[in-house]
Amino acid sequence: MSDTDAGNAVPVVNFDKLVQRLDDAIVALAESRPFAKVGKLPRLFDLARRVLLQPGGFAAIQARAEQLEQAGVFTGTDWAEPTILLPYLTTSALQSPNADTVVIEAISELRLLAVANGEYLHPSMASEQAHHYLTQVLAINLSLLFGEQGEAEREQGKLALISRGVIQHVAQEIGYEHVIDRLIDEIWRILQQRPIQVTSVRQMITQIALCRIDPDIDLGGAGQGAERLISSLYGPTQACREDPGILVYEERLQFMDNVALQSEATGFARSMHDTGLVSPYHASFVRHVLEKQDSLLTEALGLSSTGRDCLLCYKELVHALVIEGVFPETAQGLYGLALMLERGILYQPPVAPALWRQVLLNICPEACERIHLAYGHTPQPGAWLIQGVMNMLGQPLGVGQGNNPTCQSARALSMWAYNDPDYLLQMVAWAARDNEIIMHFEGKPVSSVKSEGGVASEITLDLDPVSLVVVPHLDRIYAEMGRLCVDRPGDPHKWVNPEFHGWSAGRGFAINVDVESGNLQDLEGFLRHFYASYHPYYNGNQPLIHPQPAGVAVTDSAARFIGWHAITILRVALDPEEVMRVYFFNPNNDSGQNWGDGVVVSTARKGERFGEASLPFEQFASRLYIYHSDPLERGQPADVGEDELQRVTDRVYDSWGRDRVPADIALQAEPPPSEA
Amino acid sequence: MSEQTFNPEKGYIALLGWSLNAIEAADKFDRRYVVVAPDWAEAYCKEHDIPYVPWNFERLNDRSFEIAQTLKEMGVDVSIPLFEETVEWAGAINSVLLDNPRLFGQAMLLRDKALMKRRAQLGGIRVGIFEEAHDKEDVVRFLKRVNQTLLKLDGDPNDPIHLKAFDKAGCLGHRVIRTPDEVDTIPDEEFPVLMESHLDGWEFAVEAWIHNGKIAFLNISEYVTLGYSVFVPATPDLEKYRAQITAEIEKLIKTFDIDFGFVHPEYFVTSDGTMYFGEVAYRPPGFKVFELLERAYGFNAYQGLILSFDPKTTAEEVKAFFPKEVVDAKGYAGCFGVYPRRRVVSKLEMPEETENHEYFETHELTPPVEETVTKRTAFGTHWGLIYFFGEDPYVMRDLLKHQEELDFYV
Repeated sequence: MSDTDAGNAVPVVNFDKLVQRLDDAIVALAESRPFAKVGKLPRLFDLARRVLLQPGGFAAIQARAEQLEQAGVFTGTDWAEPTILLPYLTTSALQSPNADTVVIEAISELRLLAVANGEYLHPSMASEQAHHYLTQVLAINLSLLFGEQGEAEREQGKLALISRGVIQHVAQEIGYEHVIDRLIDEIWRILQQRPIQVTSVRQMITQIALCRIDPDIDLGGAGQGAERLISSLYGPTQACREDPGILVYEERLQFMDNVALQSEATGFARSMHDTGLVSPYHASFVRHVLEKQDSLLTEALGLSSTGRDCLLCYKELVHALVIEGVFPETAQGLYGLALMLERGILYQPPVAPALWRQVLLNICPEACERIHLAYGHTPQPGAWLIQGVMNMLGQPLGVGQGNNPTCQSARALSMWAYNDPDYLLQMVAWAARDNEIIMHFEGKPVSSVKSEGGVASEITLDLDPVSLVVVPHLDRIYAEMGRLCVDRPGDPHKWVNPEFHGWSAGRGFAINVDVESGNLQDLEGFLRHFYASYHPYYNGNQPLIHPQPAGVAVTDSAARFIGWHAITILRVALDPEEVMRVYFFNPNNDSGQNWGDGVVVSTARKGERFGEASLPFEQFASRLYIYHSDPLERGQPADVGEDELQRVTDRVYDSWGRDRVPADIALQAEPPPSEA
Repeated sequence: MSEQTFNPEKGYIALLGWSLNAIEAADKFDRRYVVVAPDWAEAYCKEHDIPYVPWNFERLNDRSFEIAQTLKEMGVDVSIPLFEETVEWAGAINSVLLDNPRLFGQAMLLRDKALMKRRAQLGGIRVGIFEEAHDKEDVVRFLKRVNQTLLKLDGDPNDPIHLKAFDKAGCLGHRVIRTPDEVDTIPDEEFPVLMESHLDGWEFAVEAWIHNGKIAFLNISEYVTLGYSVFVPATPDLEKYRAQITAEIEKLIKTFDIDFGFVHPEYFVTSDGTMYFGEVAYRPPGFKVFELLERAYGFNAYQGLILSFDPKTTAEEVKAFFPKEVVDAKGYAGCFGVYPRRRVVSKLEMPEETENHEYFETHELTPPVEETVTKRTAFGTHWGLIYFFGEDPYVMRDLLKHQEELDFYV
């Protein structure tokens, strides 16, 4: 007998054998009778999926595109006739949680790539046609190329590697020059939302910079608009134009005269406020002038008179924040610092002393560990946390949840940074120093340490430093508060939201979904009260005082329901075109989303401030499912016009409410799960 | 659509039962065929132009002659059972088609586990102790008697006994009983059952294609764990009994008077090399052994079945069709039946070590329909098979064994 030990460790995949098996499966399908083909497909799809997950897998499938198609992979599906395929449908196919859908879409893309490259003479599609189609696919799926992960991808898990991989493979083969201009527009669109986490934007810009210097990539006329983006990171001023490296630049600073320093300062400030991105050289510059002539600090931060005033009042604190927190690695903190000074929040009595505590904070080993894992060992964890605090206080609407189902916690952080900055600083201190946060639920203390677990099984590291440290605690507390409500009828957010976010969240609660059945309930009453509470024409022209938590039913570009999502309603006002809009904060990493049926969330040029998303009031109301209000202030249901109400109701029924019609007929019964 | 071109010199066969793999094999072969299946198959057959005769296989009754007559009028030469439930139908039909009444009696013998054992015993084939049970008391008595025979004293742990339905395939209804208390867990509607003493041997199965009363091809299937996993060909450790096993099968052919077709018996071999007969079925085995054989040898086992049943098959055809056992195998093909190990499951998650293993081929598991897993009383049915193929039988064996420790449903 042999003593072979099978399968104790995870074995390395033998790619050749895997591909051999795929070839066998292709032959089996090809030789199969039409009536039995269906039975051969699961094996082939499973093998193709496994091949696609391996390095070189995309090329392997591409090389077999012709055999795959002729064997009958696409027979009986829309993919069988490539000329009728619509590029915009690829997004939802690639983001499907169903493995077979993702795999067949990927095989189809790789087939067209083979056609475009002339490797496969397709009977019904010309090489140019295929090329054109793929260019559109790339442009439409840019987010898969470099961007942030969305809800759909989060649901997908490992499959997302195939979706992303196939788009990246196509881009490499087709050439980035065909998408680069679209990509640049996309980067500007994201930067207009001024996110705190700019890692993926930096990656995209770096990718473009690399394409531009790669002699093998002919960008043609494309990519011209990338100049400002690339320079904002790699050479925003005269003295670092050619990206000389930090050491060389610091040497140059030693010998600069006043005029030169002045020009550097304004150059940095202009670039920073233009893009929201901070160059590492900027950090070197600020540290340098702080030692020699800190009068240039105001210039380098690009401050207005408000900001300058604040800086002068709290000069020592600002110096301490820069010395302890601003390094080339954490340069992004300068933008937060500038905006924080502009907000004037340092004039609130507890904020400055709380920031002094932050500067001197002892950070517990657990928090250090997370910061090390996410950001590396230099500078010290404390510096990263200071950067994070400055950014969050400066850009409260720039908070993002990363690839985590923790929209509630991200929303809370944003709300406190916006509304209650010293409370946020308290949370950071507890989490970072004590590794425990205790909040109270109806008088009962809820500890993040004693909780059984959060909504997210694991919090990823793609977060800003504050979220990185605080969210794991908040998430557990949020989940624990939910658990304390399990035996209460209806939606737990009714009690959890005000207790979790703070006193300013309204105690009045409205929901239009029956938790038991998942059906819509009293949509009209829900909407009339929403108008009465939030719409200036119906609430006595009262602007919203405190940001309010709300829940939306997120739909995809085909208006199909994806999931429940937590947002903050910030204000309701007329836009430049005199359209009443709801301005809100979406803790998602990119608020600009197409929710289908003409509902496209805007992030700029409709009167939005940095980080705000907006929709016309009616469209927003059609995706809303939970809101809070002050029960004492809310008056009579608003006398909204029947037409307007009908339009909103129709939009609900045409999208996420499609299968939730409250009728005698039994329909889908799915209680709203916790929001992601 | 059927693209078949058949050889008019050869037989016309009827497949009893619905198996897409068998139909496809027939369609690609040179014998004219017709599928006899329940009427739910009609739409599919019409859509794909598959030759089809509707028939609902229930218990044999006075209408049974009707289907035999229909097939005879169509010119069908022989019928082939694909499932345990169609074995007696094939016997009845073939006795008409081939004008050989003995075939029906033979089929009934092969359908009843108790009768089958008696016949084997009469033929000088070694079997364990067995008895029919009509109620729970019979079971308790048998358990006690078997253990008395083994000279066990009161308080010694009992040797288990096995309970099986008379006429069900494979592990369906198979229970292991160790104590009288366990007898109470058997529902009354499961009686009557066959009881057997436990044989402490190595259990394995044989698939043998028979033509003109001779073995055309004999495969030994090695069970790693009964009800969980099987692979073909067997390890050299088991193949070393091939000569002995062949002799046993020849004895079986003689005893059951089998002239053509296919048998799938199970045996135990004890440590001293003695073979005990377990049971025999006259139809393709479960656990997709036919598919495993095709993977290992490259020949289509269903076509082999057609060949061995067709009265117009020549000896030369048979010789040319089947490969040489073991030496012609390109490797070892095995499969593992997955049972959820947890009480509550929410999704299918292939363990990475399985999915990335060099031998792993594919799986036919589907996501769970229900979250709560029904507790298994009898051996029960697995949730789907996973397939492996590789060069080393020992790696294969250990790999299949190791799968038992993994969670596929979490």
